[in-house]
Amino acid sequence: MAAGATTSDNLSQLMARIASGEREALRQLYQATSAKLFGVCLRILSDREESEDVLQDVYVTIWRRADRFDSSRASVMTWLSTIARNRAIDRLRARGPLAYAGSIEGMEIPDGADSAETLLSAADDRNKLHGCLSQLDDRTEKVIRTAFFEGVTYEALARSMDAPVGTVKSWIRRGLAKLKGCLQS
Amino acid sequence: MSEAPDLPEAEAFAAEHALGVLDARERAEAEMRMARDPAFAADVDAWRRRLAPMLDSIESVTAPQGVWTRIEAMLPANDNGAVMNKLRFWRNAAVGGFALAAASLAGVVVQVTQPPVTVEAPASAPGQLLNASLTATSGQPQPLFVAAYDPDRKALIITSLLPPGADRDKVNQLWLIAGQDKPRSLGLIEPGKAKVIALPLEVMARMSAGAKLAVSIEPEGGSKDPNGPSGPIIGLGELSSL
Repeated sequence: MAAGATTSDNLSQLMARIASGEREALRQLYQATSAKLFGVCLRILSDREESEDVLQDVYVTIWRRADRFDSSRASVMTWLSTIARNRAIDRLRARGPLAYAGSIEGMEIPDGADSAETLLSAADDRNKLHGCLSQLDDRTEKVIRTAFFEGVTYEALARSMDAPVGTVKSWIRRGLAKLKGCLQS
Repeated sequence: MSEAPDLPEAEAFAAEHALGVLDARERAEAEMRMARDPAFAADVDAWRRRLAPMLDSIESVTAPQGVWTRIEAMLPANDNGAVMNKLRFWRNAAVGGFALAAASLAGVVVQVTQPPVTVEAPASAPGQLLNASLTATSGQPQPLFVAAYDPDRKALIITSLLPPGADRDKVNQLWLIAGQDKPRSLGLIEPGKAKVIALPLEVMARMSAGAKLAVSIEPEGGSKDPNGPSGPIIGLGELSSL
């Protein structure tokens, strides 16, 4: 990882250079962020080959869309990891409607162990979100995490939990409202 | 945790989009709404920021060496690609001075601020309501224009989702590509605006599911090429019934 290339200021500068068509800047961004984004793809897809394809697609997208990055709306890492997550979820959904309706009980969630390489927003944000999620009831926390990591639709969630769609929807909506309140406090 | 008040409906929808629980149709709806409604887009952004720290807990994994080589090979030879460069140039160009060459459209284009257009035509206007989302032809399939064909109004309503402001000598031209016909111009579109385009019956007859709408970047006044667009196509979409 290139020293000093990981602060958010430096990443923003890289984005501006990428937007003006500088390949070297994309290479530096790749060096600084690809391990994180590859981790995101792998977490969602659990398949190395597909994750490599998606990662490739993500950086080509970044190359083409760097001019759309708006630092007043999101940090570079949030923007990049949102693209990676969305692309990986698209790929997951392309496997078919039933492929991702896996068991919620079987999910393994890493609990935010500190990593020196963490590039995303401050550890404070992570700890706070983690704390707020764990204050939700277990079922709600699980469905929110499952939805986030697997892009599972209400319908698929309802099917895997054997509950009406409306019920799952109200669990999630109520959970999100609580989460927002907790994060603001 | 104490009880929190319910999220307002729009914000709940934004949060669901950020979380990823919407089905394909609802997602498309949310994407379109983001493009049209800045407050809604801000809600989605805020929720993405709130939820993004969940990704922090994911371990970094070094990607295999070959991936970067493949990425490099996929980058367009002339860097960001002619279309997107033109688009960017055009988006960054000074606001104002956009000369809409409406005169050349022989009254086909009518500003949306004017009363609805009436076209003399038999009452039995053909067709059904059709919609099209014209997405960017390069990069992410982001909608750039949204179109709705209303046979009752005998019109196509097109909304440009591009930021207002354009350079002085480039315009966006809308094309209908139906069957084996050569592209037919439906007029010019101003960035960031909605427009009602009254359609002659012969054009209405071509408005059917599967026909395509495209937008090209053209010199002022539109394409001089009698066979269709002379500039790059930036957006493309297919008409379909809801």
